[in-house]
Amino acid sequence: MRHKAPLLVGIVAIPLAQLADVLVTILVGGAIEKVRLSDNQEWLTRTLVLMAAAAVSHAFFRFWQRWLVVVVSRRFEVELKQELFDRLTRLDLSFHAKSRSGDLVSRLTADVEALRMFLGPGMMYTLGAVVIVPISLGWLFFLNPLMSMSMLLPMLAVGVIMQRLTPRLHVHSTAVQESLADINHRAQEDFGGVRIVQGYQRQESQAQRFARSSEQNRDHQISLGRARGLTHAGIHGSFDLTFAVILILGGLAAIDRSLPVGELFQFVDLTIKVFWPLIAVGWIAGMYPRAVASAKRVQTLLDTRSALTETDSDVGLDPQKTPSFEFDSVSYTYPDADSPTLQEISFELPAGQSLGIVGPTGAGKTTLLLLMGRLVDPTNGVIKCNAIPVRDLPLAHVRGALGYVPQDSFLFSVPYGDNIRFGTDEDINPEQLAVLIEQVAMTGEVARFPKGTDTLVGERGVTLSGGQRQRTCIARALARKPRILVLDDCLSAVDTHTEKTLLQSLREAGQGRGVVIAAHRLSTVAGCNEILVLDDQGAMADKGTHKELVSRPGWYQQTWDRQQKRASLEDNTGAGA
Amino acid sequence: MSWEAEEEVAGKAWDGRLFRRLLRYAGPHRWLFIKSFMVLASLFALDLVGPWIWQASLDGPVQDALSSPEGTDTAPFIHDLLMLVAVYVGILLLQTWLRYFEVATLILTGQSVIHDLRRHIYSHISSLDLAWFDRRPTGALVTRVSSDVENLAELFTAGVVTLAFDMIRVVVVLALLFTIHAPLALVVTLMTPILILISLMFRGGARRAHRTVRAELARLNGYLAEVLQGIAVVQLFGREAHVGARFGEHLARYFAANKRTILLFALFFPIMSLAVYLIQGATLRQGVISIAGDELTIGAFLRFWLYLTLVVQPIRNLGERYNVLQSAFASAERVFEVLDTTSNLPTPSKPSPLGPEGIAPKVQFQNVSFGYLKDHPVLEKVDFEILPGQTVALVGATGAGKSTIVNLLLRFYDPSEGQVQVGERELTQVDLSDWRGRIGLVLQDDFLFAGTVRENILMDRSGIDEATLLLALKASGADRVVQNLAGGLDAEVAERGATFSTGERQLLAIARALAGQPDLVILDEATASVDSETEARIEQATGLLLQGRSALVVAHRLSTIQRADVILVLDGGRIIERGTHDELLAAKGAYARLHALQFELEA
Ligand SMILES: Nc1ncnc2c1ncn2[C@@H]1O[C@H](COP(=O)(O)OP(=O)(O)OP(=O)(O)O)[C@@H](O)[C@H]1O
Ligand SMILES: Nc1ncnc2c1ncn2[C@@H]1O[C@H](COP(=O)(O)OP(=O)(O)OP(=O)(O)O)[C@@H](O)[C@H]1O
Ligand SMILES: [Mg+2]
Repeated sequence: MRHKAPLLVGIVAIPLAQLADVLVTILVGGAIEKVRLSDNQEWLTRTLVLMAAAAVSHAFFRFWQRWLVVVVSRRFEVELKQELFDRLTRLDLSFHAKSRSGDLVSRLTADVEALRMFLGPGMMYTLGAVVIVPISLGWLFFLNPLMSMSMLLPMLAVGVIMQRLTPRLHVHSTAVQESLADINHRAQEDFGGVRIVQGYQRQESQAQRFARSSEQNRDHQISLGRARGLTHAGIHGSFDLTFAVILILGGLAAIDRSLPVGELFQFVDLTIKVFWPLIAVGWIAGMYPRAVASAKRVQTLLDTRSALTETDSDVGLDPQKTPSFEFDSVSYTYPDADSPTLQEISFELPAGQSLGIVGPTGAGKTTLLLLMGRLVDPTNGVIKCNAIPVRDLPLAHVRGALGYVPQDSFLFSVPYGDNIRFGTDEDINPEQLAVLIEQVAMTGEVARFPKGTDTLVGERGVTLSGGQRQRTCIARALARKPRILVLDDCLSAVDTHTEKTLLQSLREAGQGRGVVIAAHRLSTVAGCNEILVLDDQGAMADKGTHKELVSRPGWYQQTWDRQQKRASLEDNTGAGA
Repeated sequence: MSWEAEEEVAGKAWDGRLFRRLLRYAGPHRWLFIKSFMVLASLFALDLVGPWIWQASLDGPVQDALSSPEGTDTAPFIHDLLMLVAVYVGILLLQTWLRYFEVATLILTGQSVIHDLRRHIYSHISSLDLAWFDRRPTGALVTRVSSDVENLAELFTAGVVTLAFDMIRVVVVLALLFTIHAPLALVVTLMTPILILISLMFRGGARRAHRTVRAELARLNGYLAEVLQGIAVVQLFGREAHVGARFGEHLARYFAANKRTILLFALFFPIMSLAVYLIQGATLRQGVISIAGDELTIGAFLRFWLYLTLVVQPIRNLGERYNVLQSAFASAERVFEVLDTTSNLPTPSKPSPLGPEGIAPKVQFQNVSFGYLKDHPVLEKVDFEILPGQTVALVGATGAGKSTIVNLLLRFYDPSEGQVQVGERELTQVDLSDWRGRIGLVLQDDFLFAGTVRENILMDRSGIDEATLLLALKASGADRVVQNLAGGLDAEVAERGATFSTGERQLLAIARALAGQPDLVILDEATASVDSETEARIEQATGLLLQGRSALVVAHRLSTIQRADVILVLDGGRIIERGTHDELLAAKGAYARLHALQFELEA
């Protein structure tokens, strides 16, 4: 821990502040005794001066205690959040596909918050109690051993109460944190899908669902509140009853003249001072189960390991050379799926060559490309890059070689230019940026944006048209100067004219690079060195060049004919009119 | 300086208003509030009895015993003492019982209000217009309905009830102090304004600091949510470290903002403590003088002192509470800021009915111009109609404004010039839920909810029977997708449909649109990622299913729209050509060129 020093000073400040506080009480108690015994009041000024000194030092230490300890607890929060974030971004895609982002967000917010609340004030009060309680108890013991023994009773009682109630607190706390996650999830989803929610006029029914989640949270909070009420009453009750014991014992002793009244006063005031920290500790103890519940949720996240293991071997890829790829009877089954998505896929992609992937909807094209980018690892078979299994290569090397255009054009809500720059660590100057934008035929459109390349893009790119988003994603991939371009259905949202321009640019960009391209229109892949045809079971139906594939009966030929016929049919009707 | 002062005043008025608005949410739960208040009041009253018993014991039996000559029988004094102790124990037990409610009822009250408020702000946000959403990251909105609302809860528990009660407590105790010993009480009373002054001095700074904290938190959460959604892109581009660093920057700003509040309150607490000591010191001095002058008994002084701790504790707590309150107020501002936003699309006061369902109303765009931002027109003088039963197709370059036309037709935005009319009525005057309820919508970006496949297709719409559902599935080609799922229609869908392929999601979206038997179908690039065989099948099947219904189809593949009744060619936000496929080819204009190009590409 880096914050040892401030924490230590803060911790030292806590007892000092408390001691000053105790000193005040002792002074006041002494004063009452003195007033009974002496007529002279000179001592009063001295007491007041001492009290002022104690008060000022109390204030001084209290400042440092708060400042240091609370800042440390906040720093803890920030560091935990950072660590969780870094973990999350490195967890594999199958994990993310299964998780609800609202839930993950809630772990980083509500749960970390619950932990901080426990650690910050918790630490402060507990440490304070650790110091002040023994000292006060010692003093009390010195004043009257018998009476001070009675103080052990409530502590015992509190221990028993907490032990009984903790399971209950824990159950409700967990339920509260989970229902909070649920609220987060619902809001995240409904606000994210607002176009569909409003387009189908589903605001009412979604609101009802949300209300149900909120209601659940409320009910769990209330149950937790009841459990906490019991804890609170138990702790206070135990302590309060001690005062009754003190009153009997102290009163009897005073009647016996074995205890001066001033000391009885000190006893009571010190007892209050002992109890405040103890009650605070009781309160912290009430928060403890919630912190544990949250800590568990946070810990599960920290314990989750990516399904992708990083190798420790030191072989790597030459960052200057275009690598080759090889799939050796690769199969892949998604976690929780009962049938394989890809079966026994084998092919080779020699360095600098192009590969087309076609097949019906849901055949597994995207999955195949994800395997190349090593976002998932095959269930069976081996993927090799430059004849080295990708598992034995550093993840960064494999992904670093690729320029990937994903099927769903995800953009960040940052300035337009930064979305393209996202692709690379290298600096991209405005001229280079302009070239990239030109390559994807967006120069005119970007110029018309309110602030050109500095225009802020909406979340997921909502303020751009579908085609603009797709082209920006292509520019982002090109910005990497990738050795292999991976294009997943990347021309689906552009018009024919733009498509032609883009194909031209991609062809140029593909010079000397490997290109892997998944597409529905066969014309897009026709020029590839090799084309892979997947069937709807995710098996390899065929493989070959365009020429070979059109010449043999099968899905490829059929589809080609259909697409041809449609085009020519249109043309004929057109010519006929 | 004067600017500061003005802001201070504005803040004060604002607090009053905030408070009144919050009270409105408390209204429906007033019984709970009264109950909480009564619990606190009873506890407080019992708290006051305790010191009295202490005094009675010390000034009664103890004093009597001490003043009687040594060697007297102490039994009567002990008896008196035990009587007092018995009363004391009774009171303490009662208090313990009440303490349960002190927590449980307060939480019950707070949570009941929070639930109302949370529902309210959620509904309000989901009724706002899209222009508003366009500018806001979802994660930041989520923060408002979750974390801000929760933070605000403190206003009801720590705020309205406890704080109000603390004030009463201070006043009552002060009054009681006067009954014990007026000069001593006067000393205390004269000094309390110091505390109030200190609090007021801190308020402005504390509020500003907390505002920044809340805003930074929203930004932080917004970024987090965004990165999680784009995680595939982050990983594919190996940008984990980059986004981590940006998250770190957000965290650093959040931390700095927090540090400001911590510093303020680290100062506030000790200063309050000092003020409390000052009061205690003054009391002690005055007390000693009075005792020496025989104006005050020691028992009375003890009672005075115990009462004083009754005010001192709330005043010290006030520091903690004050911090919480300022933070809660900052959240309340953010919540009400959203609640005060009204949709830019005013709902008509007397919405016109659209006529019976099942009959497609005529849709008309009359010289519609529109831009998402001022001075950046996207559509210019767009003029067309969709007659009942007609299929109208929109083609044109990317960014030409096709999806924008769809957005206007749904009234996601209002045109800046011209009118959109449905069934001869201006769309702004039409009951939106009636209109949107008649539309089957497939947007360019598919969106599936976490839930089951069935829920995603039904979308809580009533009146879709199983047969219609199956028909829609078949027509959209989604039946094959569903067949492959282990649970069939009841299979779980992940968030945003992440476990489906893009094409499969599009098919499910089409099924959803068809299932409602809409009067008007809007298909915006609905089959862009679907293979051509499936596409052809869908075209045929939907053609049958949609007979008599109107359709607006946006497509880049001309093959999908050649059967449309009217094809509109859009360029730079204007309609440059219109007609049927054949007419447009014959005209040898932009459409014909586009078509030739496509043929060239396919060949
Ligand atoms: N929410 C928005 N805020 C600001 N500008 C927007 C918004 N949505 C779209 N635009 C801009 O309006 C223009 C038209 O976009 P629109 O989505 O209507 O195009 P489109 O014709 O559907 O294109 P595509 O074929 O690529 O989907 C684009 O330049 C786009 O950047
Ligand atoms: N995370 C996942 N978990 C389980 N199944 C998945 C997951 N992602 C995809 N699938 C399934 O795997 C199959 C292949 O999906 P993939 O996205 O690779 O198809 P595709 O060929 O790219 O389809 P499209 O043409 O629609 O883009 C689909 O049936 C899909 O439902
Ligand atoms: Mg795909």
